[in-house]
Amino acid sequence: MDDSDPRPPPQGAAPHAPAGPWLRLRLRAARREAVPAAAFGLLGIVAAIGQAVCAARALQLALDGAGMGEAVGPLLGFAGLALLRAGLGVLFERAGFDAGAASRRRLRSEALGAMLAAGPALLRRHHSAELATVVVDRVEALEGLFARWLPAAMLALAGPVLVVLVVLWVDPIAAAILAAVGLLVPAAMGLAGLGAAAAARRQFTAMTRLQARFVDRVRGIATIVLAGHAEAEAQALGRAAHELRRRTLKVLSLAFLSSAAMDLAFAVGIVVLALRYAAGLADGSLVRPGDALLVLLLVPEFFAPLRGFAAAYQDRSHAGPAAEALAALPEPPPAPPALPVRNVAARGVAVAFEDVCLTWDASRGRALDGVSFRVPAGETLILTGPSGSGKSSVLEILLGFVRPESGRVTLNGADIATLVPAAQARLVAWIGQRPVLFASSIRDNIRFARPEASDAEVEEAARFARLDPVLATLPQGLDTPVGEGGYGLSGGQAQRVAIARAFLKNAPLLLLDEPTAHLDPATEAEVLDGLRRLALGRTVVLASHAAAAHAFSGRRLDLRDGRVQLGRGVA
Amino acid sequence: MSALFRIMALWRPQAGWMVAGVVLSLAALLAALLLMTQAGFTVGAAALGGALVAPVGAAVALRSLGALRIVLRYGERMATHDALFRALAALRVWFFRGLAARAAGGLGFRRAGDVLSRLVGDIEALDILYIRILVPLAGAALLLPVLAWVIGAVDVALAVVVVVLFALAAFGLPLLAARISWRESGRIAGAFAGLRIACLDTLAGLREVRAFGAEGRMLATVQGREAGLLAAQHSLATRAALAGAAAFLAGQAALLAVLVFALGQGNAALVAVAFLVVAAFEAVAILPRVGAGHAARAAGRVLEVADGPLPQAAMPPAPMPAGSAIRFDGVYFAWAADRPKVLDGLTLDIPQGSRVALLGPSGAGKSTLAALLLKVARPQEGRILLGGTDIAALGDDAVRARCAWLSQATHLFSDTIRANLALGLPPGATADDSRLWAALEAARLAEVVRALPQGLDTWLGEGGLGLSGGQGRRLALARALLSDAPILVLDEPCAGLDAATEREFFQALNEGAAGRTVLLIAHRLTGAERLDRIWRLSAGRAVAAAG
Repeated sequence: MDDSDPRPPPQGAAPHAPAGPWLRLRLRAARREAVPAAAFGLLGIVAAIGQAVCAARALQLALDGAGMGEAVGPLLGFAGLALLRAGLGVLFERAGFDAGAASRRRLRSEALGAMLAAGPALLRRHHSAELATVVVDRVEALEGLFARWLPAAMLALAGPVLVVLVVLWVDPIAAAILAAVGLLVPAAMGLAGLGAAAAARRQFTAMTRLQARFVDRVRGIATIVLAGHAEAEAQALGRAAHELRRRTLKVLSLAFLSSAAMDLAFAVGIVVLALRYAAGLADGSLVRPGDALLVLLLVPEFFAPLRGFAAAYQDRSHAGPAAEALAALPEPPPAPPALPVRNVAARGVAVAFEDVCLTWDASRGRALDGVSFRVPAGETLILTGPSGSGKSSVLEILLGFVRPESGRVTLNGADIATLVPAAQARLVAWIGQRPVLFASSIRDNIRFARPEASDAEVEEAARFARLDPVLATLPQGLDTPVGEGGYGLSGGQAQRVAIARAFLKNAPLLLLDEPTAHLDPATEAEVLDGLRRLALGRTVVLASHAAAAHAFSGRRLDLRDGRVQLGRGVA
Repeated sequence: MSALFRIMALWRPQAGWMVAGVVLSLAALLAALLLMTQAGFTVGAAALGGALVAPVGAAVALRSLGALRIVLRYGERMATHDALFRALAALRVWFFRGLAARAAGGLGFRRAGDVLSRLVGDIEALDILYIRILVPLAGAALLLPVLAWVIGAVDVALAVVVVVLFALAAFGLPLLAARISWRESGRIAGAFAGLRIACLDTLAGLREVRAFGAEGRMLATVQGREAGLLAAQHSLATRAALAGAAAFLAGQAALLAVLVFALGQGNAALVAVAFLVVAAFEAVAILPRVGAGHAARAAGRVLEVADGPLPQAAMPPAPMPAGSAIRFDGVYFAWAADRPKVLDGLTLDIPQGSRVALLGPSGAGKSTLAALLLKVARPQEGRILLGGTDIAALGDDAVRARCAWLSQATHLFSDTIRANLALGLPPGATADDSRLWAALEAARLAEVVRALPQGLDTWLGEGGLGLSGGQGRRLALARALLSDAPILVLDEPCAGLDAATEREFFQALNEGAAGRTVLLIAHRLTGAERLDRIWRLSAGRAVAAAG
């Protein structure tokens, strides 16, 4: 870690490549939403031109030695247009915000929808916090792109063209000069050897790298402190930052030339026009100083949209990494086949696996390798075997988290491949190793199983799961908040909430995945008691390598490396 | 706002550079003002008959001002960015040091990675402080007397009007906007937290969501929270836009005042004044919308973490004992006074060189034991002895040098494999490649690394090589084995790994850690561990378990 060299990661050379098409598609979709902002911006420019006309007229009258009375018109016009322009400015910003909000809303729903569609299999590859960062922060980082950059990009051409058209009407030669210096901007940028785009991107990439290193070291601060490297790393961080500064300034010294090109264009415009008018007025070839003042007042308006575009360019740069993260999300899986939805009898479900194979990770071989079994309605199947033998995979197929590669899985004879996910979810209740409690009350957490359930039904479920003794000790009973920021329930208490959920759902097929793996023996016995009562009258598939297996009676199936072990049949 | 001053005080060593940036920025601003003013004056004078300045002189003045402005603007950009990078580096190093010194408070030890990343976001929010707040404010402070002086020479009453309006646009409205953004950013932060929790709930609970067919409901919840966030942001954006519009109107009112005054005067200088007013107000137009209140809140959060009181160190530390036997002696501990006790009179002996497992359900305080041993937390009662000496009397770093720590929170850095391994060595020490390879060999990772084209210099993490979960954990093991620490503290080292990978890890550990004391903390055993004693943590005490 004493390495002070902020070397770029070797493969990080072309980080923007995959996000390109993704971003173009989203920008095209958002263009329509940016139109109101661009329209308000353009109207603002029109009002600004009007103001310049009024101001120039008033100044001309002043130079002519006219009094207040003659200039009332232009002055009132100036004031009125100022108010209008202020109002248009507010509308411009609000419309920009609305465009950004609409895009964020769309992208967030798209991202979360993709994750929900990919389902629990996603959690095998990504941590939930990392996924949440994509939905919350990465989408947020795209705000500027849609709210500011897109309208600014639309105005960058339209604004200056509008100004030149007005100048053309007053003084064609001045219009030609303005147009020429306007074209000087991109031309000078080209001469400087870089487009403003490339330079800004390089600066941004460098910043991102320092930021990434900093985030990385801060996240791992416990590791650094416990290894006794805190001071060494602080110094390395300082060296890296200063090295980065030296390098970045080298890049910036070129990049700022393109900003200087804009300044040059502005200065040339002002100086050339001022001298032209001074000379014209002095030798009498120009008789209306008002026109000269108008053109000079319009020069800043000519450059304002270009400046706005340059300023918004950093919003465009910020979009790169965010778009990359979003573009990397899994494509939603193909929609279930358009077969007629099978109606599986809700009471009493028989389960059958016929030669089912499944692979999670090709390098590890098959997780299930030709598994077959039948569970008649109302009976219990106990899957045993060491961790990694395929027990959870069987349950995940039944839950619809994953589809088998080959073989058939049927519920009451209907292939689950022909069931829509919602229909399949209605048939099964599931209790895993550690139930996730949502940041809400215990009541809402139970009701999660069936949102339309009445309070009485929720309370009955809580009683069934023997939650009453727990609730009695809690300040607000069923309404006690749990989950993030709430009251911390123990593993056994959380498992009882899961039992209450399953009871409330009242599905005919109960899937239990090592439900007591994280409990101490006393708690385990209590939870098992609840599970046995829940199992009455339902078809049950239980995966367990522990005592839980002995608490249930039923057919046993021993799995080893994804295969059914023969000769250890009915218990 | 005092938080912002505290942050600025951190930049004292960089003050020279920052002042240089401000000075150049002011010079560039003056050149811009003079250019506009001179342009107005030239045309105005010419309209009146060119009596005041000869066209030749005007041309020279305009051309040199134009050139000066370009050069100064360029210099300003370079100088302010140089100062910005210096300030940015100083702020990050200061934050890192502060955080490291206070990591003993538990932050970062208990999986707080997301909280930390958000703090990094707060640091980024402070980057605007110099270029977007301090530099324009300095410009405004310069412009105020310039306006008063230049316009005062023409007419005092007009100068008063313009100066008051300018003060409103450059100071009054920005202050008001800062107050608004301070208030609203609190609301926005709350809405953000709500959205984040809803997303985390949905994604951590993907299994529950799918099993209960709740996709639509969860999506609706997240959308609802998002709507709340957007509403809060909308309210802030509208107010900021209004503040900006008010500042704009102040500028227009000033210009109107100049026009009204100019009527009937027939004075070319007034054309110049009109151009000056336009340029001056444009220079401060950014100020009402920089979100200073947001930066102030961020500064507050950063200071809270990195600037609090330092935990007291034992002075001077006792000499390190020769032996490495560990004894927990009647230890009581709770993470906070209002939280339940996690250790309740725990007594436990771990002889030197033994391999001990400590089992217990999650939340039983197993990780607390590691935190206490590593001096990340200290017991409220009881003692922890290392080689017979109370660790409270020993230096933090000395104790940690004895104990190599490996948990699911052990971080692999976006850096080379070599640099990641070097974290196992004492700071500043280097090891020859043969030692690194021996450690990788012991962790059963050498083959994987040897197959990489860049070997030990392969970059890990974002944009680099993605190690699998098991390989990552074994690299952390190699790092731990590379250290000479006689004690290995393994806190759920295999959490989140599948069974086969877990077995491989323990097989590597069994051989690689020969001769060292091993304290394994887990909620269950796989059967692959080689152990001398097994303890179970129950009701805050260690109970002997079978084994």
